[in-house]
Amino acid sequence: MPLTGAALWSVEMAGCLRSAIFLVLHGELLRIPILKGRNRTIQNHGAILSEGLLNQRSKGNSPDQAPKKVLVIGGGIAGLTAAWELARLDLDVKLIEKSSFLGGHAIQFCCKAADECQKCGACLVEKRLLEVIEEPRIKVYLKSEIEKMNRNSRFSYTLSQRSLYIDSQRCTNCGLCFEKCPADGAVIRGYSKNNVPLYAIDETHCPHFKDGSCRLCEDLCPEKAINLDPEPDRVSGEADAIVVASGFQTFDPVNRPRYGYGINKNLITALDLERMLREKGEVLRPSDDKVPEKIAFIQCVGSRDHKLQHGFCSQVCCGYAMRMAEAIHYRHPGAEVTIFYMDIQNCGKNFSKFYERCKDHIRFVRFMPGDIFQGEQDQLILCYGDEKDGHSVREPFDLVVLSVGIMPGPSNASLADMLKLDLDEHGFFAFADPLDSTSTSQQGVFLAGTAQGPKDIADTMAQAGQAAQRVAHYLGVMPCPK
Amino acid sequence: MPEVRNVSSQTALMEEIHMDTTVLVVGGGWHGMKVAYELACIGYQVVLIENGTSIGGKAPSDHLVSTSEQELSVLLKKVKDHEAIEVLASTRLVALSGVPGDFRVRLEQDGQALEKAAGAVVVALEAERVPMLEAYRLNPGENALSQSQLERMLDSPEEKDRFCGEDSKDVLFLVGLQQEGNPLVMERALRSAIELQDTGGCQATILVGNVKLAHDGLETLYKQSRERGVLYFKLRESPLITQNGLNFQIKFFDGVLHSDVELTPDVLVVEEAIRPHPQAPDLARVLRIDTDPEGFFQPDNVHYLPVRSNREGIYVIGSARQSSNLRHGWSDVQNAVLAVRQLLGEGKSLVPREKAKIHRGKCTICLTCFRVCPHGAIYWDNRAVISPVACQGCGICASECPMDAIQLVDYRDDQIEAQIFELGNINSNTPQIIAFCCQNSAYEAGQMARLFGSSLPEGLQMIKVPCAGKVDVDYILKAFQAGADGVLVLACHKDNCKSQQGNTFAEWRVEDATRMLAEVGLETERLRFITLASNMPVEFVRITREIEDKLREMGPSPMKKQALAKTAS
Repeated sequence: MPLTGAALWSVEMAGCLRSAIFLVLHGELLRIPILKGRNRTIQNHGAILSEGLLNQRSKGNSPDQAPKKVLVIGGGIAGLTAAWELARLDLDVKLIEKSSFLGGHAIQFCCKAADECQKCGACLVEKRLLEVIEEPRIKVYLKSEIEKMNRNSRFSYTLSQRSLYIDSQRCTNCGLCFEKCPADGAVIRGYSKNNVPLYAIDETHCPHFKDGSCRLCEDLCPEKAINLDPEPDRVSGEADAIVVASGFQTFDPVNRPRYGYGINKNLITALDLERMLREKGEVLRPSDDKVPEKIAFIQCVGSRDHKLQHGFCSQVCCGYAMRMAEAIHYRHPGAEVTIFYMDIQNCGKNFSKFYERCKDHIRFVRFMPGDIFQGEQDQLILCYGDEKDGHSVREPFDLVVLSVGIMPGPSNASLADMLKLDLDEHGFFAFADPLDSTSTSQQGVFLAGTAQGPKDIADTMAQAGQAAQRVAHYLGVMPCPK
Repeated sequence: MPEVRNVSSQTALMEEIHMDTTVLVVGGGWHGMKVAYELACIGYQVVLIENGTSIGGKAPSDHLVSTSEQELSVLLKKVKDHEAIEVLASTRLVALSGVPGDFRVRLEQDGQALEKAAGAVVVALEAERVPMLEAYRLNPGENALSQSQLERMLDSPEEKDRFCGEDSKDVLFLVGLQQEGNPLVMERALRSAIELQDTGGCQATILVGNVKLAHDGLETLYKQSRERGVLYFKLRESPLITQNGLNFQIKFFDGVLHSDVELTPDVLVVEEAIRPHPQAPDLARVLRIDTDPEGFFQPDNVHYLPVRSNREGIYVIGSARQSSNLRHGWSDVQNAVLAVRQLLGEGKSLVPREKAKIHRGKCTICLTCFRVCPHGAIYWDNRAVISPVACQGCGICASECPMDAIQLVDYRDDQIEAQIFELGNINSNTPQIIAFCCQNSAYEAGQMARLFGSSLPEGLQMIKVPCAGKVDVDYILKAFQAGADGVLVLACHKDNCKSQQGNTFAEWRVEDATRMLAEVGLETERLRFITLASNMPVEFVRITREIEDKLREMGPSPMKKQALAKTAS
């Protein structure tokens, strides 16, 4: 239904619920569903809404002042959840994300269901992302980082935003650029259909940004949506509160040279395996694309490692390794999976039954193999001590998965510096109140997700909800029923 | 190209309804007090009920309590003093009726009945700690202690002397050998072991299954304990324990030393299990909310995280839903406050006038809908009424109703049937497949597969349903009648259905339909029930292509001729 021009001015906001917008038009209540995945429609509705918001007596804000503004740093599952909960409280949210896509690490994770759900929570990320892109009160800045931050009574910040090159208004997600691009990795696709825009250009791989030699995608695009010329932009703004949800990086196994990561193709990280399961739906040996018969997981790669000053447990690796092992067993019943571990950590509800079930399909060996040797036919040989007699065993595997841990984010130090926050001994953001892990030493700045310390999707979402509630409390945004 | 249909864009009229801004909090432990106080602070009236004689009660077993004990005793005072909080001790919840925003609560205080109204309910029954001496076949005695007993001794200076100086002892902890264990249990053993080690003469030894360190700061604590000299043996199974009066003999095989080890400690300290509150089963029945297999509130289903129960307006927090430390518990409190304010707001809420309609003429008051509704959204008011606030629109009731008296506003039977009969070109040689796709999983996966340019079967028609539990046997049979060569019912994985049982209902109905197909002589392979998730586009393609290949092999459905004849006439 075209609601433009004159009609627009007589629109008064009545409310916004989930996937639909409700408008009062000439006294009639209308429900306009937001068509999923159609960014253009959403933005049009967004325009209507922002008009409406100006006149709206929103429940979260007193009528004579503009809605309070919150800056959420990081577009992973923590940032998405915090942003969405804040928007539902009628706050004005700016969500900034360093990469080209929302969703962070978690949107890359695969569904680990066997014959039943294993409760990894990856599907929750999909759903939350959809909710965020449909939410007009959240403004997303992709490829953006904070450049400057000042604090007076409010926070004033400057973002530097690299160009997206692809105009999301024009792009129809036809995928021609992605398909035809001659350079590997220059045009990249989001992990989920809910990534808007779905395609992005990676300057580090695109030949245009090396030597100006190629503009094929510009010419090919039927909608003329690509323009490789724009320079980075700067955006300034103000915020009343900040949520730090900058996430983590996985441990780079190159820092454990004895494994020889990068030498044998069949030695992969658990994140590689997540992406493989997600993109291909099965496990294939990188060297020959065959289903591996023997697979080993090595736990605690980078975590609980005092030599590397990583004196912390990553809290998620046992869970994801066991869940992926179960998923592999379900998809390839012939594959034999072994998990090498120090101590198995709990995950989720009802853990002991889950662990018992895993023991039926997975071999657990309490030993951390030191070196990994090259075997025949691209196999990898692990050496470990037998638990019963202590003899050293050499066993070949077709695929070895390193359960890499959660490490502090690469920009934690600079972000902490800018926001005057403290980092803990490991490099995660430190919380100030022992009972509230979202609290910081700075008023108005809150923590959510793995920026504060390792945690799984469920705990991250819970902490992000908590952070949103703390922000609302701090801003005095109360419902105050009579 | 496969055709994708969407019938959910019906306009439903909205109405503003009144929401009661009183919140009932069940359980006067730390979590109950905290959530009551937080809710009262933002303007809600709170009724805090506690079965025991006073609130506060036993502190949760958590080192965080001691670090902020003062704050917590302040909390107790704040709760007692707050005018918006009504504290009812020695009170139990007997019955709950009504809908979110308008629950009627019947309480019993010292044998007297009380009635209250509430907009929402927060369940904060604290878990309890159960000593496990019996599980280790130990008789309690002055040197066979539970973890709590040891903690109490270490807390009192005179008792602590028993571990100091000449009285120093070898103390052996048994952790995670008769239960899987968890970081809370582990942390308590670690802290006590360090304290004993610090007395100067004691030697603490921990026999443990897995050292559970998946909470912030525990690895550091574990390292500290080893630096102070605490010894660890990691065992695969419980050791052989002989208790002879005050003497113990512990035998086990050690995987590091590769030999049998025998220990004769002076004191044995046994871990405790964290179990749901003994009243949890009763309360779950009264509130009609589900528990997980261990008996904690909240089904083991990620869609309910963090604090939702299977009923709108009833939230579960802290150790009522899983063993957690106080920091996680406080996070639950904030999430529950957030959920309550989203639901109740300032006492008004805009909701669709109806999500599902019951046809009064057809309804025979058989109560099937009331029994099958996974969200407790159907109540009784001389007739069955579906609460639009509580209804999640899954449609399980509509499909289970033997009289077909219930219709979803957004997914009416006639709309879905119209889609079934809009099947593409049934004349073509490519197999025609109708896939009923749950909007939460398969439909999303299918859309993603299309967007990513995957090649889906040419004759695939996706029909979006709100939940697989909405797929009637009728739909399946009609799909074949319409000329489909194959029918797929695509649901969420077990334990991942937002409506708990939708996938199970769908599977049962597919089984029923399969029997019927067999009776009329149609190949049963033409109908499949498959589970998948929203992030499985690759599997969606594989599943649909597999059935296409199979159908191509089998040839056109025998029912197609009839369908063709019908269209021709």
